[in-house]
Amino acid sequence: MAPTPLLLRSAAATSTPLRLTTSTARRLLSTTPQPAASTGTSTNETKPKLKPLTPSQKAFLSSALRVNQAGELAATLIYTSQTPPLLRREPHLRPLMSHMYEQEAAHLLTFNTLLAKHRVRPTALYPLWSVLATGLGWGTAMMGKEAAMACTEAVETEIGGHYNGQIRTLLEMVGQWEAEGYDVGEEFRELISTLRRIRDEELEHLDHAVEHDAQKAQPHWLLTGVIRAGCKGAIWVSERV
Amino acid sequence: MPPNCAAVARLLLRPSTATATATSCPLRAIRAASTLVRPPTSASPQTTPRSLSQSHPRPYHSTTHPPPPSPFTPTESAILSASYAHVPTHGFTPSSLALGARAAGYLDISTSIFPEGAFSLIKWHLYTQRTALAGKKDSIAGFESMSLTERVEALTWERLMGNGEVVGRWQEALAIMAQPTYVFASVKELAELADEIWYLAGDVSVDPTWYTKRASLSAIYAASELFMTNDRSPDFSETWHFLRRRLAEAGEIGDATRSVREWLSFTASAGVNVLRSKGVPI
Repeated sequence: MAPTPLLLRSAAATSTPLRLTTSTARRLLSTTPQPAASTGTSTNETKPKLKPLTPSQKAFLSSALRVNQAGELAATLIYTSQTPPLLRREPHLRPLMSHMYEQEAAHLLTFNTLLAKHRVRPTALYPLWSVLATGLGWGTAMMGKEAAMACTEAVETEIGGHYNGQIRTLLEMVGQWEAEGYDVGEEFRELISTLRRIRDEELEHLDHAVEHDAQKAQPHWLLTGVIRAGCKGAIWVSERV
Repeated sequence: MPPNCAAVARLLLRPSTATATATSCPLRAIRAASTLVRPPTSASPQTTPRSLSQSHPRPYHSTTHPPPPSPFTPTESAILSASYAHVPTHGFTPSSLALGARAAGYLDISTSIFPEGAFSLIKWHLYTQRTALAGKKDSIAGFESMSLTERVEALTWERLMGNGEVVGRWQEALAIMAQPTYVFASVKELAELADEIWYLAGDVSVDPTWYTKRASLSAIYAASELFMTNDRSPDFSETWHFLRRRLAEAGEIGDATRSVREWLSFTASAGVNVLRSKGVPI
């Protein structure tokens, strides 16, 4: 009697295919991924029909994963170096800082795993980004709580937009496969849902920063402008080397 | 009768033996038909780039999607694998290619689909030996229980043994690979080999050691390969010891740099903490 529920479940999963482009599926993927549905489709007797990746798709994916790893590395270092000077003056921020740091560390671990799994090389400027991120975090924390929060605001604004761009490209890719009658494998469903979850968490940090007086930093426009330009430049470079 | 001539020429290029009838055909028709065995050019956008030099270096590796096609077309593979059998006697030379083309049932002239000549044969050797490593991994006894460095050593040794059959001709091949035209492709192939070995060994580091690991393994492999061409000891035992010594040296250097880095970062953070404890606002 053991195989019966499995068969039923796989039949149910195939009769209502998950479409990534609909809004209902989007909620489902970003918040509660369903492992039951995934095992149902992958152990199905009809193997999913997957399209080989084109060289340009591969190039996009490898540069996307590389830049994401570099970004999360920088984020963990920014929070690490911001925390001690900031908590000296504002001890009540300890839970917030440790919460944000833990999320960034989990993101970094996620991308480290993805890079190793998909054989993507890390950025060659790894040591440079480490030094710059530590300097940025420490420098803004020394300037005060408002500047530190403005730094978070600027960085997370750029990162949120950056992740959105990647998700958009991936959805186009996946939509193209669906239109051509190919299946979308677990690999890409998972990747998209991971990126969505991380994007949401980054935007949550943005909200925290604004709640904690990020926009009272003086001069706010200069600080965020410089940091955002720096972020954009770093993203551009990390996508390439 | 041009259509018939084209058909005859096509037959000639297929694995067949009809040679005498070709005399009455204009050369043009034969040449036109010879394009059939050329790799597809830009006229067919559906096909992916074939040449090794055009492929992206170590791009995203999908675990579920179908792998990219071989960089060699079926015709090229047929001729090259037949030619490869002649390498121990005739070397990495155009004559091996011509013999291979004949053995595979093609005209001698069909080696013109390899504009790089003997280097194509070398590329074939490098490509097939590199891709064969994944299969050889399973035949290494106790691979799963080995440490990372032991795995790298075992895989590098397996790859060196892949040169065993052609080792008498390998110095020639190295000389061709060192020519300015081919140096880039050869170094890239070496880098891909180092990457393959670290990947198969199960290395998951994605920090700057990713680069140092691959660079040092490339250097060690290239040195061992050169050493092996002059090794006359039974079962290449001298090469085996040479490889072990080089890997041990690299390990020592790695340990030393790691210790220095650890000491530096500990001292720096301890210094900052001392200053903070003294009330310096940093």
